[in-house]
Amino acid sequence: MSIVVKDLVYIYGEGTPYETVALDGVSFEIGDEEFVGLIGHTGSGKSTLVQHLNGLLKPKSGQIFVGGTEITARKKGLTNIRRKIGLLFQYPEYQLFEETVYKDVAFGPSNLGLSETEIDQRVREAMFLVGLDFTAMAERSPFELSGGQKRKAAIAGVIAMRPDVLILDEPTAGLDPRSHADILDMLDKIRKSRGVIVILISHNMADVARMADKVIVMDGGKIALAGTPAEVFAQDEFLSAAGLGLPPITKFIREMRQKGAKIGSNPLTLDEAEEAIDAYLTTKRGAGA
Amino acid sequence: MIRDITIGQYYPGETWVHKLDPRLKIIITLVFIISLFLVRDFIGYAVAAAALAITIAISRVPLPFILRGLKAIFIIIIFTFALNMFMTGGTALVRVGFLTITREGLYNAVFMGLRLVFLIIGSSMLTLTTKPIKLTDGIESLLNPLRAVGVPAHELAMMMTIALRFIPTLLEETDKIMKAQVARGADFESGNIIRRAKNMIPILIPLFISAFRIAQDLAMAMEARCYRGGEGRTKLHELKFKERDVAASLLTVLFLALILLEREFWAILEMLAISR
Ligand SMILES: Nc1ncnc2c1ncn2[C@@H]1O[C@H](COP(=O)(O)OP(=O)(O)OP(=O)(O)O)[C@@H](O)[C@H]1O
Ligand SMILES: [Mg+2]
Repeated sequence: MSIVVKDLVYIYGEGTPYETVALDGVSFEIGDEEFVGLIGHTGSGKSTLVQHLNGLLKPKSGQIFVGGTEITARKKGLTNIRRKIGLLFQYPEYQLFEETVYKDVAFGPSNLGLSETEIDQRVREAMFLVGLDFTAMAERSPFELSGGQKRKAAIAGVIAMRPDVLILDEPTAGLDPRSHADILDMLDKIRKSRGVIVILISHNMADVARMADKVIVMDGGKIALAGTPAEVFAQDEFLSAAGLGLPPITKFIREMRQKGAKIGSNPLTLDEAEEAIDAYLTTKRGAGA
Repeated sequence: MIRDITIGQYYPGETWVHKLDPRLKIIITLVFIISLFLVRDFIGYAVAAAALAITIAISRVPLPFILRGLKAIFIIIIFTFALNMFMTGGTALVRVGFLTITREGLYNAVFMGLRLVFLIIGSSMLTLTTKPIKLTDGIESLLNPLRAVGVPAHELAMMMTIALRFIPTLLEETDKIMKAQVARGADFESGNIIRRAKNMIPILIPLFISAFRIAQDLAMAMEARCYRGGEGRTKLHELKFKERDVAASLLTVLFLALILLEREFWAILEMLAISR
C-alpha cells in the first residue's frame, strides 16, 4: 500500500470573510510500511491534511491516491477506503458515546460487519495494546474515565479496526510519561506484528526522531521540508524559524559542540548520543595521554 | 454542508448600515417585517425589494453570502409554495392526476413564497450587520421599560447572546464528531429512516455531552469573573443616537408611508374621485 498526494489545496470558509488557506499545494509520497512523522507549528495545516487522506475533507484541487486508487474523484464507495485507513482525531475523547468502554471500542469493528467472536477478540487485543486493563475497564462507562483513560479508549476504538494505514493526530498530547510510553510501544508492536503505514502527528520532536523513517515538516499550509529524521533535524535554524525545535538530545550534543567538544555525528536518540559521547571521550583521553 | 447555515452569523464591516444604532436596526427590521404583511400585491413587494436592495448595497455584504442562508430553509419555502399552489380553490389551470393547480393557487404560492424569502433576507440583514453583543445591547435597552412589570430584560438579553454565540460552536462540534464517527466506519447516508435515526446516536450523545460541558465551563468562567446578573451593571459602550440614525429613521418612515400608500392606492383614488 502506498499513499500519493499531488498539489493538494484546501480553503476553509471559501467565499466568506473568514477564508483561510489551510493547504497550499501539498505533494508527497509515502511508501509501503513507512512510518511518517508529520510536524509543524500550530495551525500549519497538519490536521487538515490528514483528514483528506480518508476522504473526510474534499480538496479544492489536487489528487490523492491510496493504494493506487484515486479517492479525490469519487463520491461513493469511500466507506471501503475509510475502513482501511484508521484516523485518530486530535482530542478523540469527544467521540465516545456508548454505555461501556467495551461497546465503544467495538463500534468500529462492528461497522465492518465482523462476527461476534472476531469483534470480541479485536476489542481485547486493542485494549491490551493501549494499556487498558480489560477486566477493570471493559464494563465501565467511558464517561467515568479520566482524561488519559478516555484517550486510550478512543485509540483502542481506532486500532480495533486493524487499519492498513494508521493516522494519529497528537495521540500523546496531555498524557503522563507512562501512558505516553504505552502508546509509543503500541505503535511499535502494531508495526512489528503486521505491515502498516503509520502517520504520526506530534509536537514531541524526540518521539518523531526516534520512531519515524521519514519526517515531513509543514509550515503555513506548505511542505517546508521532508526527509529522514537525520536530514531534517540537521536543519536546526530552519526548524526554529518554522516554530519548531530539535529533539532535546540533539540539541544537547549541538551545544556541547559549540562549547568546543569535537563530536562529528548528529545523534537523534539517547543510544546514539551515548555512543557519540563515548567516542568523543575516548579520543579526547587518547589525545590527552 | 453543515456550515451552510448562516442564520445568526455576522459579516464584519464598517459601513453605514453596520454602524447604525442596534435599537433602531431592530425597530427597522420589525417595521420591514410588518410591512411585508401589509403588502397586498406585487408592486408593494417591488417597493420592499428596492428598500432591501439598497440596504444590502450599502452594507456591502455579498449577495451569495446572504442567499446561502436561504438554502437552509429551502425546504420550508418549497413546502409553503406547494401547499399554496395545490390547496387554493379557483379557476383551474392544469390538472395532474388528483392535483389541480388553479390560477389563484399559483398567485398565492408565488406571493407567499416571496414573503417568506423577504422575511428571511430582511431579518438576516439585521444579524449579518450587527455584532451579537450590540444586538443584545439593543434588545436589552428596548426591553428595559418592561422591567417595571417584572420582565428580566438583562437576563433575557444575556440568554440570547449566549444562544447566538454558541450556534456556530455547536455546528462545529457536530461536524467534528460526525467526522470522527465516519472515520470509525459509521454510515449516515444509507438505510431507511429508522436505521438512519438509529445511526444518529453516535453523534447525538457526544454532542449533548459537549453541550453540557460547554455550558458548565461557561457558567464557571462567568462566575469566576463575578457575573451576577443585571443588577447594578454598567456598560462599556453606551448606545447613542447619532445623525445617521435620525436619517435612517426618516427613511424608514418614508418607506412605511410608501408601502401604506401603495396598499391603499385604489381606495385613495376612489376617495378622491368621490370628493370631486
Ligand atoms: N473548522 C475550521 N474552520 C475554519 N478554519 C479552520 C478550521 N480548522 C482549521 N482551520 C484553520 O486552518 C489552518 C490549519 O489548521 P489545522 O487544524 O490543520 O492545523 P494543525 O497543524 O493541525 O495545528 P495544531 O498543531 O494546533 O493541531 C489554521 O489556520 C486554522 O485556523
Ligand atoms: Mg491539529
